[in-house]
Amino acid sequence: MRVCRLAAVASAFALAGCDGAGGVLAPASPDARLVASLGWWMFASAIFVLIVTLGLVLVGANLHRRGEPRRISFRASVLLVVAGGVAAPLLAIVAVAISGVVIGDEVEGPGGADGPWIEVRGELWWWEFRYLDEDGEVVAVTANELHLPVGRRARLRLVSDNVIHSFWAPNLQGKTDLIPGKVNLLYAEPETPGTWRGQCAEFCGLQHGLMGFVVVAEPPGDFARWLAAQAEPHRVTEPEGLAVFDRIGCAECHTVRGTSADGEDGPDLTHLASRQTLAAATIPNSRGNLGGWITSTHTIKPGAKMPSRIPEPEDLHALLDFLESLE
Amino acid sequence: MEHRIEVDAAELSRFAPHDHPLWWGILGAVAIEAAVVANLLTSYFYLAAQAEAWPPDGVDPPALLWPTLVLFVLPLSSLTMWWAGKGSDAGRRRQLALGVTASVGLASLALVFRSIQIAEFDIRWDEHAYGSILWAVTGFHYTHVVSAIVGTAVVAVLAWRGYFTPERQLGVVVDTLYWYFVAGVFLPIYLVLYWAPRLL
Amino acid sequence: MTDATAPDGTRGRGAGGARGHGAEPEGLPDYVRGGRDGLGEAELAELERTWQSPPGFLAWFTHVNHTNIGRRFIITSLVFFALAGLLALAMRLQLAQPLNDVLGPEAYNQVMTVHGTAMMFLFAIPAMEGAAIYLAPLMVGARDMAFPRLNAFGYYVYLIGGTVFFLSLPFGLAPDAGWFNYVPLSSKEFSAGYGIDVWTTMITFIEVSALTAAVELIVTILKLRAPGMSLDRMPIFVWAVLVMSFMILFAMPSVIVASALLMMDRLVDTAFFDAALGGSPLLWQHLFWFFGHPEVYIILVPALGIVTSIVVTFTRRSVFGYAALVLAIVGIGMVSFGLWVHHMYTTGLPLMGRSFFMAASAMIAIPSGVQVYCWIATMWGARVRFATPMLFVLGFFAIFIAGGLTGVMVASVPFDRQVHDSYFVVAHFHYVLVGGSVFPLLAGLYYWFPKATGRMMSERAGRWSCGLVFVGFNLAFFPMHQLGLEGMPRRVYTYLPETGWTLLNQLATAGSAILALGFAITLANAALSLRRGAPAGDDPWDGPTLEWATTSPPLNCNFARQAVVQSGNPVWDRRRAEVSAHVGGLRTDRRETIVTTVLDARPHAVQVLPGPTPWPFVSALVASAAFLGLIFTPWAYVLGFFAAFVTFVLWFWPRRPWRED
Repeated sequence: MRVCRLAAVASAFALAGCDGAGGVLAPASPDARLVASLGWWMFASAIFVLIVTLGLVLVGANLHRRGEPRRISFRASVLLVVAGGVAAPLLAIVAVAISGVVIGDEVEGPGGADGPWIEVRGELWWWEFRYLDEDGEVVAVTANELHLPVGRRARLRLVSDNVIHSFWAPNLQGKTDLIPGKVNLLYAEPETPGTWRGQCAEFCGLQHGLMGFVVVAEPPGDFARWLAAQAEPHRVTEPEGLAVFDRIGCAECHTVRGTSADGEDGPDLTHLASRQTLAAATIPNSRGNLGGWITSTHTIKPGAKMPSRIPEPEDLHALLDFLESLE
Repeated sequence: MEHRIEVDAAELSRFAPHDHPLWWGILGAVAIEAAVVANLLTSYFYLAAQAEAWPPDGVDPPALLWPTLVLFVLPLSSLTMWWAGKGSDAGRRRQLALGVTASVGLASLALVFRSIQIAEFDIRWDEHAYGSILWAVTGFHYTHVVSAIVGTAVVAVLAWRGYFTPERQLGVVVDTLYWYFVAGVFLPIYLVLYWAPRLL
Repeated sequence: MTDATAPDGTRGRGAGGARGHGAEPEGLPDYVRGGRDGLGEAELAELERTWQSPPGFLAWFTHVNHTNIGRRFIITSLVFFALAGLLALAMRLQLAQPLNDVLGPEAYNQVMTVHGTAMMFLFAIPAMEGAAIYLAPLMVGARDMAFPRLNAFGYYVYLIGGTVFFLSLPFGLAPDAGWFNYVPLSSKEFSAGYGIDVWTTMITFIEVSALTAAVELIVTILKLRAPGMSLDRMPIFVWAVLVMSFMILFAMPSVIVASALLMMDRLVDTAFFDAALGGSPLLWQHLFWFFGHPEVYIILVPALGIVTSIVVTFTRRSVFGYAALVLAIVGIGMVSFGLWVHHMYTTGLPLMGRSFFMAASAMIAIPSGVQVYCWIATMWGARVRFATPMLFVLGFFAIFIAGGLTGVMVASVPFDRQVHDSYFVVAHFHYVLVGGSVFPLLAGLYYWFPKATGRMMSERAGRWSCGLVFVGFNLAFFPMHQLGLEGMPRRVYTYLPETGWTLLNQLATAGSAILALGFAITLANAALSLRRGAPAGDDPWDGPTLEWATTSPPLNCNFARQAVVQSGNPVWDRRRAEVSAHVGGLRTDRRETIVTTVLDARPHAVQVLPGPTPWPFVSALVASAAFLGLIFTPWAYVLGFFAAFVTFVLWFWPRRPWRED
């Protein structure tokens, strides 16, 4: 039953428009494009080597058994071993090492990074994105949805205070781990506007499987407007819902800037309604899904840290009104 | 098919203590433990390299007196072990028994010194990674010394009961080999635990 | 302290469990009639009684012969293989549909962890060790391993450790942090409960068994070779076993240290991996992969030896490039210790450092390439017999080479940062491990089964099995390459439908069912052939190495008379020259085997080996109790130390009468 419901929910999500499919094979940044072409080159060479070697095995094994068995000369054997076993691998090693260093340097380097500073925090099991100004002060906090300006090289500071996670948005960049006690840097530079899926790639416990996020790349002007909106506190229009939010305990874990809710364990919800998804990019953001997520959290994501709450129907409606007002 | 005897084993020695497979086996055990020590000491340096201060601020490196005594007592016990082996080779059972017993005594003394020095550590194992690795390496070597002592005590008992002869001395030979290792491995441990924090 | 115990309890009649010849009628068993190797009937009968493993259930715990222990290792590892394989099927079932609920995340993570850990620690290494323990002494012409009782001890440790580890699953106490068990996920803070403790203690414990096997394989190979078998005449398989054993010797200590440190972090609150107290999560990764990477080659290297043995026998040619092959195997062993960082490309280490490991990782392609081309040169133009073992070897070629090539791809830092921890890597390492290790193991099973049991396995079932395994494997794992490239991370218990990963996952699941069927056919084939297989004779394949010089199954004493060898293919020599050279003068009333020098195998002594004894079993029981205790309290360490010591003293205590030669 759960399957059916989630499947229905999810197909709605597909309509919401995510160009996520394709991953590494659908690069949307110069870095990912470079690595994809490296991958294609290596793949083609590997296929070539595989065909040649297996061909030699089959020809050499003399499947058709024509003629008398005879051994190739010692010199020919040596030549075979040196060519196939030493020269060819050596060539591959040199090619892999040089391309690896050159391309690695290119995609991992700052390359005149001019995009925003963003602190990426891996949580159990969701993502927090903190947009920083040049002094490292937090401008805006959001969760599970990373907005990036097109054509700018954003700088991501990857940190974790719990277990190891790994940030992977395959359309944009290779992954880098978030390791407690360590700060790693990653650069992301989308070329075209678009929406892609990313996911945690280092096993991090129960809900590792659904610890996703959405990357939204938009023109710099749109991005600046979005960021300015995210930086605003919430202006309360639904006080009844806010009261429910406080009463049933949401505020203990969630922050809504502009209200008294300042919990720190869960995602910042100040602009929840502006996000495309809920529950770490698992379900589309809609009134129905919000209600489902609050009342049956662990049916959707078993083991999630958020306790589910089943308020009275009128309270739930007020709460949902409030959450939908968090534009 | 014709069957030929090309090697006659009847006359070959059944006792070859210095080149017995068991001697090689103990060498294998020594290699394993040396690898364990190498891993522990590498971990020590890895943690030290990651740390801002090593040992952490406000913690003194462990005192030098007792471990330095141990550094001399353990080789001394190896010497008595060697002397015991000489006796065993020559069939002097008394010398063997005395030497082995002396080694057990000396190593027990080293154990007492070690215990005093452990009690003097300036940090507990659960306060900082420095304390953890310090205690772990020390504990590991402590276990080694204990196992060498109890193992050799058994050899000593057998020696006093006259079990060993120049032929039947494999037990002594392999025990001695392990003893040398336990004594020898203290040197790198000593240098790393007691001098590295002072010199680095 | 000494091995002076005279074999006792071996005077009973009956061929007993060791040989599986069934009950012996009055008088002599059939296979000693007329004697062997020029040894008379009566003497051979006495020798066989001396080397007999006593029959009966309780006596089972006293067996020490390497053929018994090796066989147990192999059978036990195959049982774990089947169980871990069932877990894999459960995972494939769960992933056949997006948002499926065959397994919840909790169960999935446990199943995944146990599958990976068991395949590596409970199947692959012990299976290779078992094959080595069974075959290496036969191949070097020895009567037994150098330390038969230690051998038995190692087996019980493995059996108990493995069983406890697996039982944690039905009890719901299974570890769930993956087979590489990264901290801090596996720390007390994020993994309360006993699951991780089961992992750390049982893995350490099972490694003890790997280490004992390694030590005695090394000593057996270096010191107990038949006279004349200088190092350059040793079968390639034995070389491979030697290299594997040295790798175990130097790799296992680091995982033992790693899990000991983690055990302490969890048990007595040390701070090795706690970043807040000066510890380092990356220390775990370094230690684990310093073991974990060689581990892969520990599994691969003996498989290369199996492949060489089979290629030689089925082409009826000595191998081309013996020295090159030996160097390649040694080279793989050494280079494999310099690659561990390629598991850590995404941890943010400096690029220059990673570049070194990138080159080193790709470097492994050279020795691998040399081997593949040596085999091709050996086969070239030969009249190859395509019996089942050879078919599995052909399957090995295709899959292992494919896995090796994706291995070169993932050695590249930028490419790896895309596919690391994705299904691409899952595909890659299954190609390398299943192709490089399971295919050769199955080939070896078909090849040596007649030697171990005296019966042939069904050739028809073998061909079916080989075909199904090959097709099923590729169907199951090839699509995973693409899944990884499309962004599917590994170790996910489910995925969303809109990711578009459903179809490829379904293909993989279908493939895994075919693969399982293929394995099941071989298992059934082996079970049925035990009774019904055609009698094999001593040497059904016309093999060159010494294991084919004895009966099938081998005599209790392996060889009526130990051989003296003149080349790398002693059995072929014998047949050609119609002459066999032997060692004489070993006693028949106690267990003796000849000891030779390390390099050129000149005879220089005789080792008297111990007979059946229950002490290794008792010691293993006490040691297991200590390790189990460590799950709960640190005091088990102290208690276990002294308890184990007492059993060791009882084990080694010289029994009167003391030997006087």
